[in-house]
Amino acid sequence: MTRITLGSAVLRGTVVTALMASLMSTSALGAPPVDLNKWSPEYVRSIAGTQDFDTAADCAKVTPLDYKGRLTFWYQGVFEGDPDLLRQYYKDFFETFRKTYPNIQLEEQALTYNDLLDKFRTALLGNAAPMAVRLQILGGTEFASKGYLEPLKPEDVGYTTDDFWPGAMKAVTWEGVTYGIPTNNETMAFIWNADIFKRAGLDPDKAPATWDDVVKYSKQIHDKLGIAGYGLVARKNAGNTPYRFMPQLWAYGGGVFDEATANPTYEQVQLDSPQSKAALQASYDMYVRDKSVPVSALTNQQADNQPLFVAGQLGMMISHPSDYDVMLDLQKKATGTDKDKAQTVIDNMRYGLIPTGPDGKRAVVFGGSNIHILKPEYVEGGKVDEPAAKAIICMWTSPEWSLKMAYAGSNPGNLNGFKTKWMKERLDNIEFLDVTTSMLPYGIPFPALPQAPEIMNIIVPDMLQNALTGAMTVDQAADDAAKRVKELMGGL
Amino acid sequence: MTIVTGKAEARRTLQPGRPGVLRSIWEHRADYAYVLPAIAVMLIVIAYPIYYTIELSFFKTPPGLQLRDKTFIGFDNYTTILTSEVFWTVTWNTLIWTLGSTLISFVLGFATALALHREFIGRGVLRATLIIPWVISAVAASYIWKWIYHSDFGIIGAVLVGLGLADRPPNFIDNVSTVLPSLIVVNIWREFPFAMIMMMAGLQTVPDQLLRAAKVDGANAWQRFWHVTFPHLRNVSVVTILLLAVANFNSFIIPWIMTGGGPSNASHIWITHIYELAFGRQRWGVASAYSVLLFLTLMTLGYFYVRALTGNERKEGSA
Repeated sequence: MTRITLGSAVLRGTVVTALMASLMSTSALGAPPVDLNKWSPEYVRSIAGTQDFDTAADCAKVTPLDYKGRLTFWYQGVFEGDPDLLRQYYKDFFETFRKTYPNIQLEEQALTYNDLLDKFRTALLGNAAPMAVRLQILGGTEFASKGYLEPLKPEDVGYTTDDFWPGAMKAVTWEGVTYGIPTNNETMAFIWNADIFKRAGLDPDKAPATWDDVVKYSKQIHDKLGIAGYGLVARKNAGNTPYRFMPQLWAYGGGVFDEATANPTYEQVQLDSPQSKAALQASYDMYVRDKSVPVSALTNQQADNQPLFVAGQLGMMISHPSDYDVMLDLQKKATGTDKDKAQTVIDNMRYGLIPTGPDGKRAVVFGGSNIHILKPEYVEGGKVDEPAAKAIICMWTSPEWSLKMAYAGSNPGNLNGFKTKWMKERLDNIEFLDVTTSMLPYGIPFPALPQAPEIMNIIVPDMLQNALTGAMTVDQAADDAAKRVKELMGGL
Repeated sequence: MTIVTGKAEARRTLQPGRPGVLRSIWEHRADYAYVLPAIAVMLIVIAYPIYYTIELSFFKTPPGLQLRDKTFIGFDNYTTILTSEVFWTVTWNTLIWTLGSTLISFVLGFATALALHREFIGRGVLRATLIIPWVISAVAASYIWKWIYHSDFGIIGAVLVGLGLADRPPNFIDNVSTVLPSLIVVNIWREFPFAMIMMMAGLQTVPDQLLRAAKVDGANAWQRFWHVTFPHLRNVSVVTILLLAVANFNSFIIPWIMTGGGPSNASHIWITHIYELAFGRQRWGVASAYSVLLFLTLMTLGYFYVRALTGNERKEGSA
């Protein structure tokens, strides 16, 4: 079984030390609630269910439970690619909040990942933003650097900075000031269909070791079975694209800047480096040369690859921790023989670590979300009810709710969440969870720069599309993207 | 052109010295009072945004700064747009999109209107059915067509492969050459019922006795159409084409939802490109300058539209 070997694989990773240093470098790990140096699936299991937390009592110290106020709140909510389980937890959270703080009039609004940034930016221009917002990890520095956010650190809502992943804290820090608190952090893993592997003549229980293997496997699956091998995603303005391409880029030794190093400076653009071009070439080979990935990759998102996978039409893909639950949901919705086919796929689902590059480098995007409080002048009505905002932030980032709200799709931003009884329950219920937690030490945060959203959501997907459509050669596409990043950083 | 009626002339004679315009305003004070709220709303929601967009088009708005940190740069944003390679690609796409969608929708709508103008069993049902694409939400239609076109498991691909007409599903929207024509097809599907309705209304105004007289004089079907029907439809045709053109220049939903302007900008048109520049890349100044160019283009079309609408009235007034 793949899972058993994963713990040792984590320890063997050649660049783990550097990446761990990157993720864990701040605050010298004063007294974190969990020992990140011991991180492994076994360690995660050993701490799960070892501590109880009383969320209401903890948050009452921040904002009294009888506090009367009003709060407007936007958050990146569940979308079509999320499992039903997560929908239920979101519902439960807001119900619990209203029961815990019955006198706070909460006006919440859920937005999808791809819509939130555009809408939030527009609202800010009209001074019509909500009082608090939960943004994707990519957005924190953009809004902090422009002065829209109030300083906010974990200590302001009853926790300590050490309670959170140091890498995640970097994403909410701008020029030394903390402007938000991580709600959840996750890394993806690799998923494949063992039955397809077997029928294509591949080892059904072995994930491709390197990205070059992914290219080979994808071709072999396509040539033998006539279906897509690897689930490439290259849509523009969709978060799924950088989350799937950046691990490949970093594994080959490339990057937008030097974000994959232990102490990034973000000074040198590396999108046009030979390593970055090699990563882009691998995508080109799969899409253009071998035609072994979905043709629809240029307009698709991960939510479109999920039905392909459960229909047995896709061999492998980078996968979210929640994908197992999504497959179960899709299987429930299938009818007739499709239901059986879907069950066969689920029975044959395997999770493994994301492949390495040619030099053994393994990387994954350190993803997640953060929660922030806005400055009053940018908020509709010109006032921020800070105690009300802190109440919801305290609850969401608590060990209990940061775990529950990430139950199927992520991991708790508050490291104490790993100690709760719900984490233990989750380890028993969520298949392959330890694989995705095993990828956490390989996580690389997106560059903590205000320009990061444009780079990741527009320039990198454009580079992919330019190369994959033949609008440019691989070299030209990489050079063009590097030039655009340089212009962007130069203020153009 | 000033048309002086006998009544007005009489009033002027009775009260010499009162300026005509002011008097006219005074006489119509109740009318102005009625439209005042609408004018006030228009000034707030239309005039001010237009003014602000024009103003913003002369400023540099670096994406890393707030909008209030903008700096005046004169016409630099316009120069940036007009010298950008992407702008000309997008402009070409916009022209193909607008002209293709407008002309084909019009021709198809006109032909359908002519066919439905004749009496036959089931005409009412057919009319109602053909209007459906126009009344369906553009968002819903875009998602449906996205699945119809899907390059891996779309309906068209499945049918073609199932019938043995293709080895693999055709690539409609993931290919730089086929994406724009594919989107135009969707747009035509949505718009031709509008042209059909307009032309059907126009056909009701063609005098039947003229058509009968032409028939008696030996004119064939084509001659009756060309010499009798079509001249009566000229104005409604111009208005329909202009309305379609304006709508297509402004069309956002179909390209944005189906492709987001991709792949490789191949389906970006002005309006989607402006959206991406403003809300995706926060180049508010450049996007504003771009919007001003779009505004001027649409105003030009609007001018011709108003002329087409008022042309008849003027002719009638002069007669």
